[in-house]
Amino acid sequence: MELILYIIILAFLFETMDSSAGMGFGTGLTPLLFLCGYEPLQVVPILLMSEAITGITSGFFHHEFENAKFSIKRPINRGTRVMLMIAGFGCVAILISVFLAYFAIKFDENVIKTYVAILILVMGFIGMIKLKQRNSKYKPKLLASLSAIAGFNKGIGAGGYGPVVMMGQIFSGIYEKTATAIVSLAEGIVCIVGVATFLLISNYGLTIDFVLLPSIFTGGFLAAIISPYMVRVLPNKIWRVVIPTYALCMGVLILTKLYIL
Amino acid sequence: MEIDNVSNVSIDEIGSIARVIDTELTIFERMKIKKRSLKKVSGAIVFYLATMILFSIYL
Repeated sequence: MELILYIIILAFLFETMDSSAGMGFGTGLTPLLFLCGYEPLQVVPILLMSEAITGITSGFFHHEFENAKFSIKRPINRGTRVMLMIAGFGCVAILISVFLAYFAIKFDENVIKTYVAILILVMGFIGMIKLKQRNSKYKPKLLASLSAIAGFNKGIGAGGYGPVVMMGQIFSGIYEKTATAIVSLAEGIVCIVGVATFLLISNYGLTIDFVLLPSIFTGGFLAAIISPYMVRVLPNKIWRVVIPTYALCMGVLILTKLYIL
Repeated sequence: MEIDNVSNVSIDEIGSIARVIDTELTIFERMKIKKRSLKKVSGAIVFYLATMILFSIYL
């Protein structure tokens, strides 16, 4: 087993942002690891495995530090219902993406990724404009629609699930700290389905390289404990600014990777 | 996906505890960690160490 220091640091930084701003682990870390020379089969399944554990851990500690309250026993509380709806769209999306990959149905990758980047940029921009708006009205249909769009994006392999769902929750009036907790736990559940699918595929001859797993798990797991605490301590007005700003950065990162790097 | 059930959700109920903590506690009060939470953090560290031992055996 090998622990690679710079991978641990990168995983820690991106998971810190993912568990506190609800986005960026997959969207940010994947292109960086590709730039470091790692292959897709060394990166994608490992990020899914790591995100499955860190997402659940982060959700657990968000609950513990009271950024959100989730319930397992009936009656399931309303925050949990919203989380299950978001996770449900994500799980369907993962299955669709595997189905599309199985039948080798290809979309024009550049067009799809440009669309996702522009969508995230627009949402980040609207989020910045709405900063002054204190009380948004709860819009469940908007949340359901944006969860479906995020799921579709993930399903066609374009990424950007976290930013779209996160901004969708904020536009739907959910408190920023709670939205972060909901998206962390939902992504953990979605990634469990993703891992199960990859393991199923690996039975049909796909070989997964686990070299990065201990390093990414180490950085990610520590961040998944620290970030919910950070979310609790820092005032919500900070997250109101950080989340749309980070979404804008994610959009710029995707466009940079597509057209400059 | 229970969109109908979700649409009955009151926005005040989702995140109500986080809102109260934000408005009623100072940053220093929010920094205090309960003993129960510390036990759970310790449990997570034990889980991490156990997982790393498993990795060192199987990877």
